[in-house]
Amino acid sequence: MPIPAATFDYDAALRACARGEQLALHQLYQQESRYLLGVALRIVRQRALAEDVLHDAFLSIWRRAGSFDATRGSGKGWIYVLVRHQALNLMRARAHEITADEDTVESLLQQRQDDGPGESYVLQAEMGRLHDCLGHLEESKRHSILYAYVDGCSHSEIAQRLQAPLGTVKAWVKRGLAALRECMG
Amino acid sequence: MTGNDDLQRLAGEYVLGTLSLDERTAVEQRLPREPVLRDAINAWEQRLLPLTTLAPPQEPSSQLWPRISASLFTPEKVRQAGGWQAWWNNLAFWRLLAGGGLTAALALAVTLTLQTQGRSGPGYLVVLVAPQDKSPGWIVQAGSRGGRDLSLIPLGATAVPQQKALQFWTKGKDWGAPVSLGLVQPGQTVKMHLDKLPPLQPEQLFEITLEPATGSPTGRPTGPVLYIGRAVKVM
Repeated sequence: MPIPAATFDYDAALRACARGEQLALHQLYQQESRYLLGVALRIVRQRALAEDVLHDAFLSIWRRAGSFDATRGSGKGWIYVLVRHQALNLMRARAHEITADEDTVESLLQQRQDDGPGESYVLQAEMGRLHDCLGHLEESKRHSILYAYVDGCSHSEIAQRLQAPLGTVKAWVKRGLAALRECMG
Repeated sequence: MTGNDDLQRLAGEYVLGTLSLDERTAVEQRLPREPVLRDAINAWEQRLLPLTTLAPPQEPSSQLWPRISASLFTPEKVRQAGGWQAWWNNLAFWRLLAGGGLTAALALAVTLTLQTQGRSGPGYLVVLVAPQDKSPGWIVQAGSRGGRDLSLIPLGATAVPQQKALQFWTKGKDWGAPVSLGLVQPGQTVKMHLDKLPPLQPEQLFEITLEPATGSPTGRPTGPVLYIGRAVKVM
């Protein structure tokens, strides 16, 4: 059973993985896999694909644990970054494959809308400064950023969801990021 | 400031995920050479990371961990080539081994031995790789007499610290614990006859661990795994 995240030593687990201790990787898996799968599933939207993402991500964790540098961020964060980029790369690669077929795009977009709108995001107070800074953004910019980060939406998917022109969405993302950076430092 | 703004936008959108595949690849290729871009991306990762808590948890299927675990000791190039059997037949395998210090003559010798053994029943092959970087270190081949004659062939020298020794182990699928096949000398071929063990099985695990000079005091592996691999049936 997972132990509370506050007491699990992610950095030590990664160092043990770097030494080739398979048990440490299994402990990381037991500790974090359900949350990581949640993150991957939001982005790739299909369960089988999300499990593929997690499979590949855990192999990367095992292989690259030695390159984890605790001075650049937490071990837990390092793992989430790895899973997200694995998922994003998969989605962006698939985008190339499905653009040829408009029906597929249409049905995917339909499916997206059935997933429910982003209004359902409940920003959590424990997100600290990010929570405050997102709260200060205009709604359109905030939604653009959340759709992209949490749901893995491309610019055009955000445009579809927010019923806005593509150029406008690109500007929202750009200005939203700039404002966030200014607010958070 | 424009240069910095562009860099920040690129780093932010890379982390956010709104770049196309080509743009993402271009960013990743720049990372090793551009510490400023790397730092900007790292800062964005840290800023946005709390958003990962917005995704509801999902319980993975019970097959996922076994699948990950099975892939751990299969080097990536082998997986990409379609598994060990395909890999064995792949020229890249031999190039990699040659690069790792194995001569073409040894490759030929192993191939010929396996072909000879093919006539008297299936043989087994195990490539023992280092867990960290998957570099091949030893080959185990077992062929005639129900797979009980076994050779452990080094592909290069293994540096062993003073007061330490290499110990060779195997573990079948349903065995409770690994069985010691004895201490081995770095860089030296060992031949053995395993008449006290059941016949070799596909997927049987072989590993070399670093132990005290007189071998593991407990009869089980106690030190780090230096090389590990699973038996693959050939022919």
